[in-house]
Formats: sequence, structure tokens, C-alpha cells
Amino acid sequence: MFRNRAALPRPTPFKALFLAVTFCLIAYTLVVIGGLVVYPPLPALIESLFSPEIVFAVELSLVTSAVSTAFCVVAAVPVAYSLARLSFPGRNLANTLFNIPLALPPLVAGVALLIFYGPSTFGKMLSASGLDVIYTPLGIVVAQFFVNLPYMVRVARSAFETINPRYEHVARTLGCTEWGAFRQITLPLAKSGLIAGLVITWSKSIGEFGAVLMLAGATRMKTETLPIALFLNMSTGDLDLAVAASVILIVISVISLAVFERYTGGRGVF
Amino acid sequence: MLRIAGLAKRLGDFTLDCVDLTVADGEYFIVLGPTGAGKTILLETLAGIYSPDAGTIALEGRDITRTDPKDRGIGMVYQDYMLFPHLTVGENIGFGLLQRKAEAARIGESVRETAALLGIGHLLERTTGTLSGGEQQRAAIARALVLRPRVLLLDEPLSALDTVTRERLRRELKAIHRATGTTVVHITHHFEDIFALADRVAVMQDGRIVQTGTPDEVFRKPATEFVAAFTGMENVYCGVSRVQNGEATIDLGEIVVRTVTAIEGDVCVGIRPEEVILSRRPFESSAANTFPGTVAEIRQNGMFSRVVVDTGLPFVAVLTRQSVARLGLVEGEPANVTFKASAVHVFRR
Repeated sequence: MFRNRAALPRPTPFKALFLAVTFCLIAYTLVVIGGLVVYPPLPALIESLFSPEIVFAVELSLVTSAVSTAFCVVAAVPVAYSLARLSFPGRNLANTLFNIPLALPPLVAGVALLIFYGPSTFGKMLSASGLDVIYTPLGIVVAQFFVNLPYMVRVARSAFETINPRYEHVARTLGCTEWGAFRQITLPLAKSGLIAGLVITWSKSIGEFGAVLMLAGATRMKTETLPIALFLNMSTGDLDLAVAASVILIVISVISLAVFERYTGGRGVF
Repeated sequence: MLRIAGLAKRLGDFTLDCVDLTVADGEYFIVLGPTGAGKTILLETLAGIYSPDAGTIALEGRDITRTDPKDRGIGMVYQDYMLFPHLTVGENIGFGLLQRKAEAARIGESVRETAALLGIGHLLERTTGTLSGGEQQRAAIARALVLRPRVLLLDEPLSALDTVTRERLRRELKAIHRATGTTVVHITHHFEDIFALADRVAVMQDGRIVQTGTPDEVFRKPATEFVAAFTGMENVYCGVSRVQNGEATIDLGEIVVRTVTAIEGDVCVGIRPEEVILSRRPFESSAANTFPGTVAEIRQNGMFSRVVVDTGLPFVAVLTRQSVARLGLVEGEPANVTFKASAVHVFRR
């Protein structure tokens, strides 16, 4: 890092201008977000935070995001390892493919999921066997999984890529099976990266709106996650409840960002 | 016995091309070759990390070409050690025994015993990041040796170390080999390793084995231009070094060479052909070594001539054709061999 620590005591017009813009935007961000938190009177905020609707939204968000994150991790680990280590035909294509949902607006992903689980043959088979995805809490999990899997894959892939494959080679000559070498050597070495990925995936699935709205709908007290609660209460003009949902989302973002930085910041992912 | 036949493997830019090698039980076998010759791939294929495109590997009469690495009984030590950073030194060394589900007490005992053999008994509780290069290399060797492998593969084990540590570890490798009797396949691009350690040598170039033999044969009779150029030390002779007042006299049997070295005892000396000066008559100079002899052979080789002068030991010199003509060197006629003390490279046998 080539930080110029002496920037403040002797400001040139150049440094002064750049620092001024920086500090203005810091202030802007703090005022905008802080303004939201302090907008309702405190007793009203607390009352809203413990209203049955917000409590339901928090519970639903926690459960669906935990489940979808767990699925993301379980699915992303083999995918990320394959992309990082194994050579197979179409590997570059696979890399691009897994990145598509990153660039895609979640609304579009949601519509695609809606068609896949709805009128398609697969969707009909699923609902015939009693698994209804559309407009149900299950749909929330499905939408979160689809949109957030690429994030987990990306972080996990870079975690695996930084580990020298020779560690595994040595472990194999020391008597490990492929599974054993992966479990005892690669996974522990990738731990920090995987935890960071898990946290960022979880935080993103809590905040997922577009895809959830499309696939699971916005039914009060049924598929009402925190972002949906925010949306519903805004549209009915119930500002206190909307702010309460926002405040919880802000707190979750800040905490998960801090955890992510802690596990990846500075020393990278191992 | 480790028998490799027709082994071929293509991996990215590196290839192994029809490698045939036989390594006897208990032998210290060195594969010499420049960087990028495919040496590491050879070891990794032997260890079972990669399965070969063609050819077979047999160990003690059993075909292990497709055997899983864990069942081969072959240990591997990488140049960059590859100690597991999330484990202590002791846990690293005991890792293989743990995989075999050995009892904790037995693991501890074997780990201490092997660590003591390598002189790292006091480091078992340390994390690997706090070790010096030499200590890490010892730990990596201990980790492989504790399983008593039938073959130990060493990938440039001395290259990453400083000169002093390298010399010490080289002696230790020799002692370990003697103590354990393990068959060792060691790859290197340092020719010094060969005289200190090898029973036999294979020279590798562009994924092929170009020559196999004892160190003496490979240096004395390089099979190809490449081997000669790569080894670069054609005048290699072994003898006994005696050091007095910082000056060494090395008795090579037929002649006694003077040089400056601290190495005493059984040694080999090497003198590059470019550093050998030929003259018709002895002449006075600062060079410490002058021997009379007879021109045994003159061979044209492009712009240069290779002249062999027999002084009791044959010395190879490289001269321009003009110099050969100017001196009037003729096969069978007398000539003097002269070289400076500093031209004598001494290495331990």
C-alpha cells in the first residue's frame, strides 16, 4: 500500500478537491441511511419492530435465507472446486454461464424461474407430486438459491484457486483418498474463503427481492420476507412498518459486511 | 526394483516421452536435467498423481501403473516442501500414520523417532510458517519417511536452500539413505548433488532420458552434446584432499592438484575445458598447476578444437583452431597442461 499519510497536513488543491469529494459522499451516505433510521419516533419504531407482521417477516427471512444459503454452499463447493481444479471440456463456458445470474436483473431470473416451475412440464410434474413452488415459501428458497449461487461459486472458486494443488498431491501419497485429501487438507485451507462466501450469500439472500417477488409473490403473512414487507407496507403507506423492515435489513448488511471483511480483508483468502 | 517402461505423459507444455528407467532396491538414483525438462512430471507420474498416457510402472514386480497413490508405498517431497499450514510440524509428520489409523501412542513414537533422525525433534509443536527453509525441508522429508516408503521421491530437495544449508542437508540425505536403505529417486539440476549422493544418474532433456549410468560414466563419457554441455565439467577426477594453511593439495593418484578449498577427505574435482591452457613448453605464470603430457587426440568441432592431453590423467581442453595451428599441436607430440587453482572446482564425494 502506498498510502500518502501526509495528505491532510499539507493539502494541495488536487488533494483537497479529491478529499472533499470523498468526505462529501461519506456524509451523504451517512445522512441518507441515518435519516431513514431516525425518521420515525423511537417508540413507534420499537413498536413496529415487534409488530406481528415484522416478526413474521424476520422469521421467514431467517429460515428461508438459512436454507437457501445451506443449499448454495453445498452446491457451490463442488462446482467451485471443479472450475478451479479440474479441466473438462466447456470449462470456460461453464465459468461464463455461472456468471450470467450475476449480471441478470433478478426480476428476469424470477420470471424465468416462474415459467420453469409453472407451465413447463417439469413444473407440472412437481405440482402433481405435491411440491408447489410458485407463490409459496418454498419459492422464496428456490429464488434465493438461483440468484445467489453464483456469488458463492465465485468466492469459493477464488478460495480454491489460491491453494496449491500440490498439498493434495502430497496428502494422496501420504495415504489419503481423494475425498480424504479434500476434507482434511483443501477444505480447512479454504475455510476463511468459504465462510466469507457463506456470509455474503446469506446477506444477499435476506435482501433478495426481485426474483422472490416474481416466483413467490408478495402475499402478506405468507411469503412476506423483510424486503417484501418493506415493499408491501410502502405501497399501502404504512411507513413505520416499512422503516422497521429497512432498519433490520441495514443492521444485517452492516454485520455481514464486517464479517466478510474480517475473513477476506488484508491477508486475502488464505 | 522400480521399473519404468515406455512411460509417456503430456501435460500442458510439459511432456514425458517414452521414459525407460530401472532403479535397483536401495539405490540412490538421480535424474539430472535443466528446468523444464519434465522432471517433476516424471516424479508425479511415479507417485500416481497423474496417470500416464502410455507405458508401465512396476515396483517389486507388481504393476502399479493404475494403482491409487495411497497404495503405492511411494513417498514424495516437493521442492517447496508443501507442509500443511494448518497443522503443526508434529501433526504434519504424523499425518500419514493417522491415515493408516495407527494408534495415537504409536504415531507419537514414530514421529519423535523420525524427527530425531532428521534433527528436528525440538520443532514438533511449532507451526510450519515459523520454520527456516532447511527445517521445513527436513520436516517434509520426515513426513514422507515416517511411512517407511519403498521409494522416496525428492523433487529438487536442495535447490531452494542457501549454500551452507544445502551442503549440510546434502550430507544428511546421504546419512539418511544409509540409515534407512530406502530407494531414492532425486531430481536436480545441480551436478554437485550427483557426486555427493548418486549411485546412478539419468540425464533428462525435453522429456526424454538421454543417458543413464554411474556418475563417472555420465561425466567422463557424455553420450550427447547436450549432456556434455549441461554437465560442463569434463575433467572430473576423484581423489583425496588435504588442507594446510588454507591451501589444498588433492591427490588424484597420477597427479597432485593444488587449489584453495576448505573441503577435506574424499573429493572430486572438476575443471572446465575452457579453463585448461595448453603450451608446447612449460612457462612461468601465476597458475598453480602445470603438468607435462602428450597430445592424445585433436578433434575439430566447429570453430573450436577439443584437444586431449594425457598427463597420466587425460585432460580435455577447448582451443580455437587458430591456437592449435599456432602452437603446432600434433597427436603424439608433448604438450603442457596448465590451469589456475581457482579453476579447480572441488565437491565432496
